[in-house]
Amino acid sequence: MSATQCAVPPTPAITPDLALRRLDDDIFRPMESFPTRRWWFAISITGALATLFVVCVGVTITQGIGTWGNNIPVGWGWAIVNFVFWIGIGHAGTLISAILFLLRQKWRTGIARFAEAMTIFAVICAMQFPLIHTGRPWLAMFWLIPYPNDQSLYQNFRSPLEWDVFAVGTYGLVSLMFWYTGLIPDLAIARERAVHPFRKFAYGLLSLGWRGSHKAWNHYEKAYLLFAALSTPLVLSVHSIVSFDFAVSHIPGWHTTIFPPYFVAGAIFSGFAMVATLIIIMRKMFRLEHIVTIEHLSAMNKIIIATSLMVGYAYAVELFMAWYGGVAAERYAFMNRAMGPYAWAYWTMVICNVVVPQLLWFRKIRRSVVLMYPVVILVNVGMWFERFVIVVTSLHRDYLPTSWDMFSPTWVDIGLFVGSIGLFLTLMLLFCRFLPTIATAELKAVMPGSQPSHGVNHA
Amino acid sequence: MSEHHGTHHHSHEAMRLLKEAALPTHIENFAVPNGMTRRGMLKALMGASAALALGVPGCERKPKRKIVSRVVGPEYQKPGKAIYYSSTWTEGTCPYGLIIKAVDGRPIKIEGNPEHPINKGASSSAMQASILSLYDPDRLRAPQRGGESVSWEAADSEIVAAIQRATSVVLITRSSLGPSERAIIDEFRRVCPQVRHFVHETIHDTPRRTAWKKIYGTDGEVLPRFDKARIIVSLDADILGTDGAVLENIRTFSEGRRLDDATHKQAQISRLYTLESTMTLTGSNADCRVRLRPSQMGGVVTALRLAAAGDDHAMHDMAAKHGLPRDTLVELVKDLHANRGESLVVAGPHLPASVHANVAMLNDELGTPGHTLGWNPTPATLPVTDPGEVEAVLGQGADVVICLGVNPVYDWPGGNFTDLLGKSGLSIGHGLCSDETSSACSISLPSSHTLESWNDAEPRTGLRTLCQPVIAPLFDARQEAESLLVWTRSLAGGKAETGEQEDWHGYVRQRWQAQLVAEGNSRNAVLAWEDALRTGGRIRPNSVAFPSLDRRVAEAMVATTPSGDGDYELVILPHPTILDGRFANNGWLQELPDPVTKVVWDNVATISPETARKLGAAEGDVIAITVGGNSVDLPVLIQAGATDGVVATTLGHGRTRGGTVCVEAAGTNAAPLLGRSDPAVPRVAVGIGIRKTGDHRKPVRTQKESSMHGRPIALDGTLDEYRHDAAFVKHRRHLPAPADLYEPYDYSKGHKWAMAIDLGACVGCSACVTACQAENNIPIVGKEQCDAGREMHWMRIDRYQDGTPDDLKIHHQPMLCQHCDNAPCESVCPVNATSHSPEGLNEMTYNRCVGTRYCSNNCPYKVRRFNFLRYHGARLRDPVQELAFNPQVTVRGIGVMEKCTFCVQRINDAKYKALNREEILRDGTIQTACEQACPAQAIVFGDANDPDSRVARLRASQRSYHVLEELNVKPNVTYLARVRNRASGDHDVGGHDDGGHEA
Repeated sequence: MSATQCAVPPTPAITPDLALRRLDDDIFRPMESFPTRRWWFAISITGALATLFVVCVGVTITQGIGTWGNNIPVGWGWAIVNFVFWIGIGHAGTLISAILFLLRQKWRTGIARFAEAMTIFAVICAMQFPLIHTGRPWLAMFWLIPYPNDQSLYQNFRSPLEWDVFAVGTYGLVSLMFWYTGLIPDLAIARERAVHPFRKFAYGLLSLGWRGSHKAWNHYEKAYLLFAALSTPLVLSVHSIVSFDFAVSHIPGWHTTIFPPYFVAGAIFSGFAMVATLIIIMRKMFRLEHIVTIEHLSAMNKIIIATSLMVGYAYAVELFMAWYGGVAAERYAFMNRAMGPYAWAYWTMVICNVVVPQLLWFRKIRRSVVLMYPVVILVNVGMWFERFVIVVTSLHRDYLPTSWDMFSPTWVDIGLFVGSIGLFLTLMLLFCRFLPTIATAELKAVMPGSQPSHGVNHA
Repeated sequence: MSEHHGTHHHSHEAMRLLKEAALPTHIENFAVPNGMTRRGMLKALMGASAALALGVPGCERKPKRKIVSRVVGPEYQKPGKAIYYSSTWTEGTCPYGLIIKAVDGRPIKIEGNPEHPINKGASSSAMQASILSLYDPDRLRAPQRGGESVSWEAADSEIVAAIQRATSVVLITRSSLGPSERAIIDEFRRVCPQVRHFVHETIHDTPRRTAWKKIYGTDGEVLPRFDKARIIVSLDADILGTDGAVLENIRTFSEGRRLDDATHKQAQISRLYTLESTMTLTGSNADCRVRLRPSQMGGVVTALRLAAAGDDHAMHDMAAKHGLPRDTLVELVKDLHANRGESLVVAGPHLPASVHANVAMLNDELGTPGHTLGWNPTPATLPVTDPGEVEAVLGQGADVVICLGVNPVYDWPGGNFTDLLGKSGLSIGHGLCSDETSSACSISLPSSHTLESWNDAEPRTGLRTLCQPVIAPLFDARQEAESLLVWTRSLAGGKAETGEQEDWHGYVRQRWQAQLVAEGNSRNAVLAWEDALRTGGRIRPNSVAFPSLDRRVAEAMVATTPSGDGDYELVILPHPTILDGRFANNGWLQELPDPVTKVVWDNVATISPETARKLGAAEGDVIAITVGGNSVDLPVLIQAGATDGVVATTLGHGRTRGGTVCVEAAGTNAAPLLGRSDPAVPRVAVGIGIRKTGDHRKPVRTQKESSMHGRPIALDGTLDEYRHDAAFVKHRRHLPAPADLYEPYDYSKGHKWAMAIDLGACVGCSACVTACQAENNIPIVGKEQCDAGREMHWMRIDRYQDGTPDDLKIHHQPMLCQHCDNAPCESVCPVNATSHSPEGLNEMTYNRCVGTRYCSNNCPYKVRRFNFLRYHGARLRDPVQELAFNPQVTVRGIGVMEKCTFCVQRINDAKYKALNREEILRDGTIQTACEQACPAQAIVFGDANDPDSRVARLRASQRSYHVLEELNVKPNVTYLARVRNRASGDHDVGGHDDGGHEA
C-alpha cells in the first residue's frame, strides 16, 4: 500500500542506513548491560513514589475514604479524576498498535511497543483507583463481578459503573494479550542473545518456544491482525463507556450527549502527549534517536494538534449547548466552571489543551525536541485538569444550593496521584530493563530492503 | 456480615461489664422474690438489655459467647418489646411531658406526651438529645473528694458535719425546680436556719418577671396565645426559638396560620411582626421585620402606644431619627388599630423592666389581656437571685457552699466565682459531669439524670406532672433532691420532720398521694398515684383570670427607660441548641446546626454585613468585645438581617471541663460579659468596645450557600395571591409534560408511603433533625468533619435567604430522602444496594453497599450520607454508649451509604401489629420520628393510596408541589408552599430576589 494514501504525511519508518545487526545491538543493549547510574537514579525516585502510592492505599483502606478530600456533594474526587486520566493515557497505545496498524502506518513500528507498554501500565494504574475509591474495597473487588453466589445476588446492569468493570477489564486483558503476542518474536531474539542460563531460561519460557518458522510467522501475523481488529473498537468503546459514568447521570455538567466522542478524542490527545513525553526521554536515555526519529515525534505532534482541535470544539459545544438548552442548573454549572471558585482549573484546562498545542502548527516547534517538550507536558497537565473540571466542578454545585460545598485534596489524595505516576514510571523503567522497548522483529520488516521492491522506494 | 465494624469489641465489653456490674451483686434479690427492690429490678433489666444490645445492632450471625437466658423474666417485660413510660422533662426551662420508650430495660427514645397540654406530643431537640446525655460516658461515676473516689456515706457524713458546724451555708440551685424540690429545700432550711438559698441562672426572665410582679401586683407570667392573635408583635422575643414554652409557642403560632383550600378566598392567618436586634428563628419566620437596636426597643413601644392612640408623630420622628422602615411601622399601627383585642405584643426576657412595663401598657391599651394573653400564677421557674447579693454573702466567706446542678464557676455573670469559692470552707458541687464547678469544689457528687430521677413539676396552675425513673442510675449517682433529703434527715437527727419515707421516691409519692386525696381525685391514694404515673401527672390546668394592671406603677417604670449610647450594642442570647451550656457535652446538640446561621460546634459574634464593613472584619476574624473591663474574643459571623451596630453572641460555649464533647467544641465563654453594662439587664450591653485581634477562627456551617439562586425550590406566595388563586404555585411554574421511557410501576395496590411537609407551618426549629438522629442511630462527626462537608444527618433544614437587609426573606425547608418513584440513585448502583420497595420506599441495603458513592452523586437533593470514617467507632469510648442505640436500626459501619428510610422500622412494626390483630392499618398509626417530634405539625406521613389519609389530602392540596419536579424523578415528599402574610400585598415569586417591597 502506498504511504501517500495515508492521512498523516509519509513518515520514514526508520533511519534509512541502519544495519540489521546494529538494530539488534542497539535495542537489546539496555537489557544486557548492567543498569547505568542514571537508571538507578531514576528508579530510586520512581520507586520511592510507588512506595508512597502503596502507603496511601494502605491508609485509605485502613482509615477510610475520609482521609481524602471527598464529601457530600463531591462524592468522587481525585481518585476518579486519576482513573479517567490514566485510562485516557492508555488510549494512545491501542490507537498506535491497532488502528495505525490496520491503516498500514509503517512509522508506527518504532514507537508501537513502547506505546503498548504504556497502555498496559496506564491501565494498571487506572484500575487501582475505582477499587480503592469504594468505601469497602474488600467487598467491591468481587461484588462487582458477576459470579454465581449463594445469595442469588446479581449486579445491576443498568449502572454505568458495572459497564465500566467490563469495559476496562476487557481493555486491560486485550491490550495485555496484544502486547504479549507482539513481544514473542522479540523475546525469542532476547533468548538467543542471552548468555546467562537464567536469562536464557526466562526468556525461553516467555517466548513460548518461538522458532521463527514460516508457519509460526504466518500464525503470528494472523493473530496480530486479529488482535488489532479486536482492539480497534476498544479504542472507541472504553472511553465512551467511561464517559457514560458521567453522561448517564443527571448532574448538570455531566448529563451531556457529547461526552463519548469528546472523551475518546481527549483520551487520544492525552495518550499521544504522554507517549511523546516518555519516549523523548527514553530515546535519549537509551540512545535510540536513530530508531525513534524526529519524524515519529513530528507525526505524533500532528495528531496532538488534530485532537486538540477536537477537544477545543467539544468545550465550545458544551458551552453553547448549556446556553441553548435553557436549563437553569445546566447554565449555572458552566458559568460556574468558567467563573466560579474553580475557574482557575477551567482556564488551566483551556490554555493547556486548546491554546498551547496550537504552537505545534509551527514546523520548527513540531520538529524540535526542546520546544515540543513543554507543549506535551502542558497537554498532560491540561488533560488532568479537564477531568478535574468535569468531576469536581460539576459535583460541587448541583441542584440545591444548600448542599453546595468545596473540595480540597488531602495529602493522601496528592500522594495517591503522585504515587500513581511513580508506579507508572517504575513499571516503565523496569520494562526498559527487561523487555525490548522497540518491536525489533516488526521494525526489521520495514527496514530498507526488507520488503519486496519494484525499484521504487515509497519510504 | 457485620455492619458494626470497630465496635465489636465494645459490644462484648458492654455485655461483660454490665453483666458484672448489674447482675451478680443483685442476683440475690431474685432468689428471694419478696426481697426484690426496684433498683435491683432495673439493674437486672439493664443486664438483659445489654444482651440484646449485643445482638441486635451488631447483626452478629453467631454469638461468640455463651448466653444464659433468664428463666423467669421481670414483670411486664417481653424481650425486644418496647415499654412506654410517662414522665416529665426537667432539664430545660419549661417542663414538658414525656413518653419514654424503653426496650429491654433501657430507655432509647423520647417523645412528647400527647396528653400534656403544653407540648401536646411534640418534643424539642434538647428533649430528644436527653437520651444521649443519659449514656454520656463523661458522667461522674462516684462521689469525689479531692480527686479520689469516696463512698456516699463518707461524703454525706462530712457534709452533714460541716453544715452542723457552719454558721453560714449557701445553697445555689437552678431556677426550674419542681414543687417537691422546693419543698425539700424549704425543709432543709427549716432544719438548718443558717442555710441561704440562692438561684443562679444566666438565661432567665427575671427583668420581665420583676416588671410583671410590680405592675400586676402578683407573681406570675403572661402566657401568649398565638393561635388567637391576628397580629403578633415580637420585640426581640425569640418566641419560636428559646423564649418561654417554645413547643407550645410553635404549635399555637402554626395553628394561627393554618390554611384550608376550600375557603381560600376568605383565608385568614396571623401576621407576625418582629422588631429585633439580631436575626433569630422568630425573625426568620416574620412576615414583616424591623431591625432595631436593643436600646431602641423602649422608644418604639412608646411610639407605638402614641400612634395607637392616634398620635403618630413620635413614630415618624423615631423612624426618621434611627432610619427605621416607616412604612412597616405605619402598617403595624394600622394593623393594631384594626385588630383590637386580637393582637398581642411580647418582649424578650433580656430587655429592661421598663420595656416590659411599656409593653404591658400597650397590651392593655390594645385590649389583649384575657383574649390573646393568659396568666399563669405558678411559673415553672424561680426568679434568680441578684448576683451582687450572692457575691456579698460569699465575699464574707461562707462555711459551706452547695452548688446543686449549677455551674457558676463557668457561667457566673462577670466571671469571678472561683475566687468566691476559694473564700468558702467546704464547697460541694453536685452535677451530672465533672464540670468547672464540681472540679473546683472540695467534694463533687454525681447527679442522676432526669431519666433516672423522681421529680415533679407544676408549669401551670393545676398542671402537675410527674417525672419517674425508667432506669436505675447507671453509675453511683444520686439525684440532687435526694441528697438534700439525706442531709436534712441526718441534720434533723432522726427527729423525722421529713416523715418516715425511706428515700426521695417515697417523699415525692407521699406528697402526691396526700395532695391527690386532698383534691378528692380518688378514694385510694395508691391507685391515684399509679394513675398519675401512668398518665404523667395531674393534667388539668385551670384557667386563671388576668390580673389588672397598675398603670401608675407602670408609667413610673417606663420613665426610667435607659437610653443607649455608643456605636455598638451587645445582646447575649441563649444558644439555640445547648442553651446556657448545660447541654454542651451533648454531641447531638453541638452538631445540630443553629437554625438561622447553620453554625455548628461553636459560638460566634453575629454582626450585620454593614457592621462588618465598618469594622473591616471578614467572616472568621476574631474580635475582642469589651464590656465594663471584661473582654471576650469571638469570631465574626456575618448574618444578613442583623441590626447594624449590634453584636449578638450566645452563651454555652468555651467550656474547659465537663466532658470530652464540650471541651472539643471549645468556642468562647461569653459569661464574663454578662451584667457588666447594667446588672439589672445582664444580657444587654451598650457602649461596648470592639477591636479586631488579628486572629482567625473559622465558624463551621453545615450549609455554605444561602441564596436560592432564583431556582424554584422553597416556594411561597402572599396571602393575597393565595386568596386570589389557591393553586398559585402550580400556575407559576411551567413544567414540560413528563415523559417516561418505561412503563411506570403500578403502586396502586397495597400501601404507598408518602410524606407531606407544610412549609407554611414549619418554623425551622430542627427538632425533627435530632429526633431522626435519635431514632436512626445517626452518628455525630465532629466540627472538622462538618467543615469537610460530611455531616451525617438524614434530615436537614435547608435555610435560604434572599432580599435586602431590611426586607430579608428567609425560607426553612426540611430536606430528606424524597423516596422518588424514578429514583436516580437506584439505577446507578452497580451492586443493587439501593432499590425500591413495592410500597414506594427507596431502600438501602447496608450489607450490600460497597460505597461507590455514585448514588449520592446522582441524587439531586443530596440527602444521602456516607460513612467516610468510623464515625460511631471513633466516638465509642465506653460500652455504656452502646445502650443508646435503637435496637431496631442497624448501626452502620465505615464505607457504607445511608439515608432516610421513612422510619421503615416503625412502618413494619405497625404493619405487623395490625396484621396480628387483624386490623386495618389506620392513618396516623405510623408516625415517623420527625413527624412525631414536630411541634408545628408540619410533617405528615401516611399512605398515599388511602384517599382519606391526611397525606393523600395534602398531596392533593392546591399549594402542593415537588422540589425539582422538572427532573421527573417523581418524589414522594410533597411540599406545601408557604403563604406569607406580608403587610403590602406584593406578588413576588419564591426564590427570586425582591427589592421592590416597601422600597
